[in-house]
Parts: sequence; C-alpha cells; structure tokens
Amino acid sequence: MGKFKERNIKCVIAILKEKNPATTKEIMAMRDLFPDLCAGCSSGGDVILAGKQLVEEGIVERKWTSEGFAWKLLEASE
Amino acid sequence: MKLQSSDDKMVVWARIRRDFPVLSELYEGKNLIYFDSACMSLKPVQVWEAMEYYYRHLGACGGAGRSTHSLGLETSQLTEEARMKITRFINARSHNEIVWTRNATEALNIIAATLPIKKDENIVTTSLEHHSGMLPFFKKCQEVGCELRIVDAHPNGTFNSADFEEKIDDKTKIVSFVHASNLTGTVAPLEDVVKISHEHGAWVVSDEAQFAPHNKLDVKKLDVDFSALSIHKACGPTGIGALYGKYELLEQLDMFLVGGDVIEDVIYENGKITPKYLPPPHKFEAGLQNYGGMLGAGAAVDYLQKIGMENIHNREQSFSKRLLEGILELEKFEVLGPLDYKQRAALVSFRPKSDVMNHNDVTEYFNDMIPNHKILMRSGNMCVHPFQYQIGLNPGKGEGVTRASLYIYNTMDEVEIFLTELENFSKALD
Repeated sequence: MGKFKERNIKCVIAILKEKNPATTKEIMAMRDLFPDLCAGCSSGGDVILAGKQLVEEGIVERKWTSEGFAWKLLEASE
Repeated sequence: MKLQSSDDKMVVWARIRRDFPVLSELYEGKNLIYFDSACMSLKPVQVWEAMEYYYRHLGACGGAGRSTHSLGLETSQLTEEARMKITRFINARSHNEIVWTRNATEALNIIAATLPIKKDENIVTTSLEHHSGMLPFFKKCQEVGCELRIVDAHPNGTFNSADFEEKIDDKTKIVSFVHASNLTGTVAPLEDVVKISHEHGAWVVSDEAQFAPHNKLDVKKLDVDFSALSIHKACGPTGIGALYGKYELLEQLDMFLVGGDVIEDVIYENGKITPKYLPPPHKFEAGLQNYGGMLGAGAAVDYLQKIGMENIHNREQSFSKRLLEGILELEKFEVLGPLDYKQRAALVSFRPKSDVMNHNDVTEYFNDMIPNHKILMRSGNMCVHPFQYQIGLNPGKGEGVTRASLYIYNTMDEVEIFLTELENFSKALD
C-alpha cells in the first residue's frame, strides 16, 4: 500500500475516533482537523476510497441512512 | 457502417455495444451501467487487438530511424500510419502537425512550457477550464511575469464572444480554452474566439479532451492554432494523447523534453556539445514512445470514424435531452450548465438541492445500493475548482457534484433505469 493511501486510511480512523459513527458529510468536514493525514483532492475521493478499503477489511462498517452513508469504526479496531 | 434507417440504427448500436464486453459481464452479481466516459471511455475489442498486435508480434523500437531491422521498420510504419489516422480524424493539414503525448494534459503543458512569451504580454484563459488547461499557463505566467487574464464563464457555464473581446488585446500571446466542458458540458464558441484572437495576432489552443471524442473536429476549418487531444476518452488506450499544432507554429516553440529521438546530431568539438534538433513533430517526442498505445489510438479513431462522428453526436444529443429532462422533472437536483441540451455535450453534473448529504454519497449510492445494477458515475469537482468557486460552491469544504457522462455504448434503456433509480434516491432527500 502506498504512503498516500496509508495516510488516508489513518485519516478515516482518526476522524472516526473523534466521532463514531460519522456520516460522509461529517467526515469531509472533519478532514481539516487532521491536515497531515487527510491528503488528496478536496473533493474527498481519496478519503472515500480509504474508507471503502477499511470496510473491506472489516475495520469499518458502512450503512445507508437518511443522511447518506454512516461510517462506524468497529469496537475491536478502536 | 452507414446508418440509413431507424432499424439499421438499432442493429448498429447494439453491435457496437457488443464490442465492449465488460458491459455484458456482471460485477458483484450486478449489471454495469457505465456513465463515467468523460473520465475514461471503455475500449472496444478492435483497440485491444491493435495493441496486442504490437505486443505479440512486434515489441520493438520505432521512431526516428532508431532500429532498422524488420520489427523496428514495421513498428515505425504502423505508428506513422496511426499518426496519419489522427491527422485525418481532426482534418489537420499534415501528419507533421500531430505530436504524440501521454495525454491532453501533457499536450497543454508542452504548449505552455515552450511558448515564447515576453513579460509585457498576456495569456487569456477562462474560469471553466479543466485545471490542465489553466495551471500550465498560470505557471508560465508566474515564471515569466506575464499577465494571466481570466474570462469568467456565465453562471450557466456558457460564453459569448464579447466576453473574450474584453480580455484579448494586441499583447495577448495565446488564448487557452476548453471546447467542451467536462463539468457543465458547455460547448464553447471556438470559431468566434479564434477569429477574435487572430485579429489581435494571438494564438489559440483548444482543449479538445471532451469535444473530439463526441463530435467532428475540423482544425483546418476552425483555424485553431493548437489542440490538445485525449485518446483515452475516445475509445483509445490510456497513456496516449496528441497535440495538434500548425506546423509553422510548432517550429516556433522551444524544445520540451530533450534526449534520444529528438536530435539530428549532437556535435562534440573542442570540449563543447552542440545539439541539432529534429523538426516537428519529432522535436517533441523525446525517448522511446508508447508504440502499442499509438496503434491503439489509430484503431480507436478508425473505430469512431466508421460509426461516424455525426451519428455519435446525434445519438448523444438524444441521451442528453432525456437525461436533462428527467433530472429536472424531479425538482430535487441542481444541474450545472445550460438547460438546453443542444448547448451541451452528453454529460450532466448535478447535486441535491438539499444539503442533507455529501456528493460522494450520491455516487456511492448508485455504485452500491441499487438492486440489479451498478451505475458508475464520478463525483467531486472534476478538476474545475475555479468555476465552482465562481458560482458559490466551495470545493475546499468538500462541496461538489455527481457527473453522469455517456458515450456510444450507452442505451436509452440505461438512461431510463438511471432516472427511475434517481427518483427512488430522491425520496431520501425529503
């Protein structure tokens, strides 16, 4: 895994440690709290990709809600 | 493959679709609806076969007289033939006006980097440019100290000639602007801008990444000085693009990358080297090239021309019309760009009027949450941040759009499936 993606994975985990669960909109807004980790274009695609990888790895759960997707860091990973 | 009647049309388009096998495969058990062609078009079998021929049967060096053995000779012949195909595709005067590049971005960077410009001159561009059409010229002006003038697009992404007349003057060296926008789908008045620019002695470079794959581009008729072409959006392979330039202007540009394949000789006398560079187009093609990609590019433009660019344009207009109507009817989405489908390419960027969710959620919903299908779109800012700031969106705060962009392999049935699912999705916005 490249460093770029690695940083965004740490970004998603860091945000979810602050607020768990969090919607995509909340995650995007909280990227400013971790400028060294949340790298990439401001549109947030890199963070989404990192989040989806965490879902595939069973570290994060993603559910559809009335406010878009909610991302939850699973307890065992916290 | 001449299209004669509506019956023929149905048969032909169905056959075209079969040239893209990924569209008949299931992904995670779902049918794919590919609405991301403005980012990357799918590639037909004919393009893979052309590339496979190179990798399977040749695999050798081509280019400026490097290897003269049989495989080298055939590689050189086929790649020059591919250059001819690009020449015909855009109706350039000569194959010597076509430079191979990695993509349209590189083509635009070549122009900006090698442009002879003085400090008291200016470059004109627009707020609707893809970053690749703006930043190379921004950087050039930073380096040289020249002025970068920006023509603001109207809020609906259109321009009129007067917008350019205000900014272009006798000190304008070049005007860089996008022929069809990858964000709003707007088709700009290129012919008018060329005329205004030439009246002031300025050159024009058009970003054709989104126009040329979907419409007949005639650089001779338009009298445009340079054009940047993206092949990967035109059914061709990745990693290959082209720069068109009037020959006499290409001659005036400085060198870009230097090294092998761009030189006639490098003389070494009395401890000094004196390079003698090749003329265009080879002066811009340093090092070993993407020969397989060139063959794929030739096959791609052949493929499009066999279908007919007018047929492609007409079909896409019908998609555009229905797509726009359908999205607007729901009254839940803001559409960027003009609401008249005739003024735009076959792409629609939209965002929920309600601020309830992030734009990435829209795209992800269509990728993952609908039954039976995956509708693949792109979300974000499409590398056109300045225009979004201009109209009040804030990319820096994660505001953006979802873009549906269609091409020759799409069907009206897919458009209807998308609109039905968009209506279902829109209920979540209440």
